[in-house]
Amino acid sequence: MGDKPIWKQIGSNLMWNKIPHYYQLFDNDRTQLGTTYIDISCLKWAGQQFQGKAPIVEKLSSLPFQKIQHSMTAQDHQPTPHSCIISTVVGQLKMFLLKNINNAWVCTNDVFRLALHNFG
Amino acid sequence: MGDKPVWEPIGSSFIQHYYQLFGNDRTQLSAVYIDASCLTWEGQQFQGKAAIVKKLSSLPFQKIQDSLMAQDHQPIPDTFIISMVVGQLKADEDPIMGFHQMFLLKNIQVAWVCTDDMFRLALHNFG
Repeated sequence: MGDKPIWKQIGSNLMWNKIPHYYQLFDNDRTQLGTTYIDISCLKWAGQQFQGKAPIVEKLSSLPFQKIQHSMTAQDHQPTPHSCIISTVVGQLKMFLLKNINNAWVCTNDVFRLALHNFG
Repeated sequence: MGDKPVWEPIGSSFIQHYYQLFGNDRTQLSAVYIDASCLTWEGQQFQGKAAIVKKLSSLPFQKIQDSLMAQDHQPIPDTFIISMVVGQLKADEDPIMGFHQMFLLKNIQVAWVCTDDMFRLALHNFG
């Protein structure tokens, strides 16, 4: 009963609007991702650290592929003690000009890791 | 040259401690959480230390082995650390599965506790 807690409403907005929008920008024109970050943002991309909006956008814009497609398998959102929301996304991407396709990846707001598993 | 940033060893000690407890005795994980903690486990949400430990203790396997393939740690303003783990697990005799887990750590007095925990198996619909 009652209204959804505010963070659930925000989480719902993230899930249906903001996060798909982020990946739309990522897949179509990464230079526009500047609006997502601020000057104190940190990005960790496959173990490499970047701090601040400009270095982050430079890194993302310079990733060595022409085309990319993201497909989201799952997203989770939670409130944090300091009035923020933390989101994790698990999904897949296809990079057309690289040898490896069908790799699984994991991405949070600031941390990206390709989840390359050796099953066996 | 320079030392590792201070959040890296804090994050990795926490991770090591967490998975040791998880593998040996999940009831002891209560020390890791506080009453304000949130857990999202495969999309299900649990709030508060008691509910979280109850969920983790009741997971339906006898034996679990976790193998961590990568971990990342970052500081967040106001004394938090975010830690992300990519790994593989084997529960009882089930096949090995990939997983992702994210921890938000907060410094309370001299200890680091987990205020947010999000776990997902890496189950994708390849196609």
